[in-house]
Amino acid sequence: MKADVLIIGGGIQGCATAYHLARKGASVIVVEKDYSGRHASGVNAGGVRLLGRDMAEVPLSKASMEMWQTLDEDLGHDTGFRRQTLVNIAVDEMDLATAQAREAKMHDAGFTHERIIDQVELRERLPHVSPGCVGGVISDLDGYAIPFKATSAFRLAAENYGAQVIEGEDILGLRRVGDAWLAQGARHRYEAETVVNCAGAWADKVALMIGDNVPLSHAAPMLMITARMPHFAKPVVGAISRQLSFKQFENGTVLIGGGAKGFADRANNRTRLDYAKLAAACRTTAEFFPIMRKASINRMWAGLEAYMPDNLPVIGPAVNASRAFHAFGFSAHGFQMGPVVGQVLADLVTGGQCRFNLSPFRIDRFDRKVL
Amino acid sequence: MKAFDCAIVGAGPAGMSAAIELAQAGADVVVLDRADRAGGQIYRSAADSPLPDAARLGPDYAAGADLITRFEQSGATHLAGADAWHLGDDGRILFSYQGETRELHCREMLLCPGAMERPMPIPGWTLPGVMTAGAAQVMLKSDAVVADGAVFAGSGPLLYLIVAQYLRLGVQVAALVDTTPRQHFFDAVPLMPRALQQVGNLRKGLSLLREIRASGVATYRYAEKLEVIGNDRATGLRFAASGRQHEVSADTVFLHHGVQPNLNMSRAMGLAHHWNSGQMCWQVTVDAFGQSSVPHVSVGGDGAGIIGADGARAAGRVAAQNILFRLGRISKADRNQRVRADLNDLSALKPFRRFIDCLYRPTEALRLPRDAETLVCRCEEQTLGDLRKGFEQGARDPNALKSLTRCGMGPCQGRQCGHVVTGLLAQWRAESPEEVGYYRLRSPQRLLTLDELGRYGTVQAEAAK
Ligand SMILES: Cc1cc2nc3c(=O)[nH]c(=O)nc-3n(C[C@H](O)[C@H](O)[C@H](O)COP(=O)(O)OP(=O)(O)OC[C@H]3O[C@@H](n4cnc5c(N)ncnc54)[C@H](O)[C@@H]3O)c2cc1C
Ligand SMILES: Cc1cc2nc3c(=O)[nH]c(=O)nc-3n(C[C@H](O)[C@H](O)[C@H](O)COP(=O)(O)OP(=O)(O)OC[C@H]3O[C@@H](n4cnc5c(N)ncnc54)[C@H](O)[C@@H]3O)c2cc1C
Repeated sequence: MKADVLIIGGGIQGCATAYHLARKGASVIVVEKDYSGRHASGVNAGGVRLLGRDMAEVPLSKASMEMWQTLDEDLGHDTGFRRQTLVNIAVDEMDLATAQAREAKMHDAGFTHERIIDQVELRERLPHVSPGCVGGVISDLDGYAIPFKATSAFRLAAENYGAQVIEGEDILGLRRVGDAWLAQGARHRYEAETVVNCAGAWADKVALMIGDNVPLSHAAPMLMITARMPHFAKPVVGAISRQLSFKQFENGTVLIGGGAKGFADRANNRTRLDYAKLAAACRTTAEFFPIMRKASINRMWAGLEAYMPDNLPVIGPAVNASRAFHAFGFSAHGFQMGPVVGQVLADLVTGGQCRFNLSPFRIDRFDRKVL
Repeated sequence: MKAFDCAIVGAGPAGMSAAIELAQAGADVVVLDRADRAGGQIYRSAADSPLPDAARLGPDYAAGADLITRFEQSGATHLAGADAWHLGDDGRILFSYQGETRELHCREMLLCPGAMERPMPIPGWTLPGVMTAGAAQVMLKSDAVVADGAVFAGSGPLLYLIVAQYLRLGVQVAALVDTTPRQHFFDAVPLMPRALQQVGNLRKGLSLLREIRASGVATYRYAEKLEVIGNDRATGLRFAASGRQHEVSADTVFLHHGVQPNLNMSRAMGLAHHWNSGQMCWQVTVDAFGQSSVPHVSVGGDGAGIIGADGARAAGRVAAQNILFRLGRISKADRNQRVRADLNDLSALKPFRRFIDCLYRPTEALRLPRDAETLVCRCEEQTLGDLRKGFEQGARDPNALKSLTRCGMGPCQGRQCGHVVTGLLAQWRAESPEEVGYYRLRSPQRLLTLDELGRYGTVQAEAAK
């Protein structure tokens, strides 16, 4: 099979890239070894979060956030996006000091979307928060979406523009022959001018096929969701220094995260849960929101996510091969970035130009001489 | 932490029989069951029935009391009211017990989770007043509660048994609406001669049917196009039989068309499964000794494929002997010698099973919903139409469909909709159920409060002291 661009990985990055490329008129094939949205992109917490981003990521994340606001109409498919204030709770004065220091830095850089709130406003926004909490930081642009729906929406929109998504196809090898990339899949062979590596937790293996080395690791962040309960929290809840993170959806279910990691077995597409850590997340949640003590956990799961040592993604061209690009290593916050990453990659692939500074995301940023 | 030689989940005929053998051989065995009393489905409350005359439920039920007594005296530890919600293939079991999360470890694990009734997604099947026939029996056995003037619809031995039990107790039955198609009788004829080897079982079934006929209860045969009537709750059943439309009024409609293995534990453990085309259901893949794809995990009884209570007893004993061998307590030769009679009995049951499976094979019209508005997933209220739309948006895999539509995400963890979804996708993709697959399941197998799970770590620490 032949196309202008071969995208490896049918998660949100791969599908968003396919959408932007196909819209520009490129012929695109996406290959996905399982099914689109099977991994991180379909099972994440759905947090569309700008608050608290690393400075280097803020410009991209901000642009993405703007795209989310109209994404349903742009794609013509439902992503489940809801705009909803995110509150990062300050449990003590030390947290507030951390927030103030960050605020100063953000203002210096010209960013004003984060705002510190006091105890009164915190209680107004979250009446059920435990009385000890002293304030917080909020961002009003934030929200959440339904991960699998959002990934599907990009896939469907890409398909509307003629992109082909091939599921159940594992890319096993890549070769640069003349001006073309030849890809060997488990079922078919592919030929393309350009390859894009959006292979998530497996992206280091694909990078290697392209010729780039990268210190990528993978892990299995865990989530739990409760049965429906009466509405008690409108904002999405996080915390400045605690592993506290939850959101109540419109249907009343509460999704609890917090970053605790289970056991990742990527060779077998499997993850195992660490129940002791989930128990700790239960205790933290109940400590700050006593109303949650009697909430009933309905399901627990984990997804395979790719991490870089600095928790920043790799976005940009390959260094050891031409006509190859990477976008991976989103370190548990890449869902929100999907829309803009797709656009950036499409720009790189078609014109080589990009309006963002991508140097913090270079694949070779960890390469240095070791004696 | 102390490790048991063997942990058994399920104290029905399979689990109890296995526990007796293991305990007799001196193994340290623990049996967990969420029910307060041992017995499982068939022998529920058989040792202390609330009914004034439990003998009327039949000799099979009465026989349970003896097995329960032997089990309770066997020396096996019985944790009654222990609901297992995580079984690890490392031999770790997490369970809810008296409001706390407890953990135990075992060298060998034996799952005997039994069966559940196959859902029958006909129009109106989720209305209040519609229940499974098994629920009628559970109410009867546990609480001596009955529903007067109910209509029973479907097919299969369990349906006839419950109708007969009702009649013997003098409970009024509005009608028996039998959906077994005429064609199935023709299909089953060639299997009859070999099934006759189990003449006792056959006779039992025939006498049930005779008993029902003699009672004069309105019986409709070869019924089709079933539909529960009622707006806010069931007021009756509409169906076609002998070329005419019928309506039977009733406040309660009991549906039943066979049982299927309880899959959630074996699925969540990641054991290998396959499609049983005879019984039209998924079942865990085990060898002759009940050993699964994970060698230290075995499965016995109806949970490993529907075989009935006698079969479940034998399968439990066979699994126990193999576990004793795996624990190094008996030699291979000893094991082979001790299981011979039970294995013979189990293979003798097969022709009879095949006959029953063929005769009462669940029809597609009752297995799969027909109308776009009919609910498939009760927990998340997803209809046939919703699923079809998800499929058309590219969700071809049960898990993709679940992620897109929420079908199967609710508290029942797909118990109700799992087989229906496999069946629908197989139809839409024009592929086999095996190719379509099933949900990827995860622990917990039940709802857990944050409080209860939150206390997990602490219980651990206390136990370690
Ligand atoms: C539990 C959890 C919670 C999270 N919560 C949030 C959140 O709230 N907010 C947020 O912004 N982010 C969150 N994230 C992170 C976010 O989900 C990811 O960063 C993002 O989905 C990554 O998208 P992706 O397309 O790069 O990866 P993936 O979705 O993993 O897609 C990569 C795909 O590539 C395929 N693939 C790999 N190798 C090959 C090959 N050789 N051939 C063919 N196909 C291949 C894989 O099968 C996979 O489907 C969370 C992640 C997890 C796991
Ligand atoms: C509703 C119903 C009624 C039936 N009535 C009859 C009848 O009257 N006569 C007849 O011949 N056959 C009947 N059957 C068929 C009968 O179930 C089997 O033939 C026989 O009981 C199978 O025995 P078993 O040991 O495999 O499983 P079961 O007897 O079903 O025992 C399984 C046990 O496992 C326990 N269990 C399951 N999961 C867990 C868990 N996670 N944690 C803790 N405990 C767990 C259950 O509480 C149950 O006690 C009935 C089946 C059903 C579904």
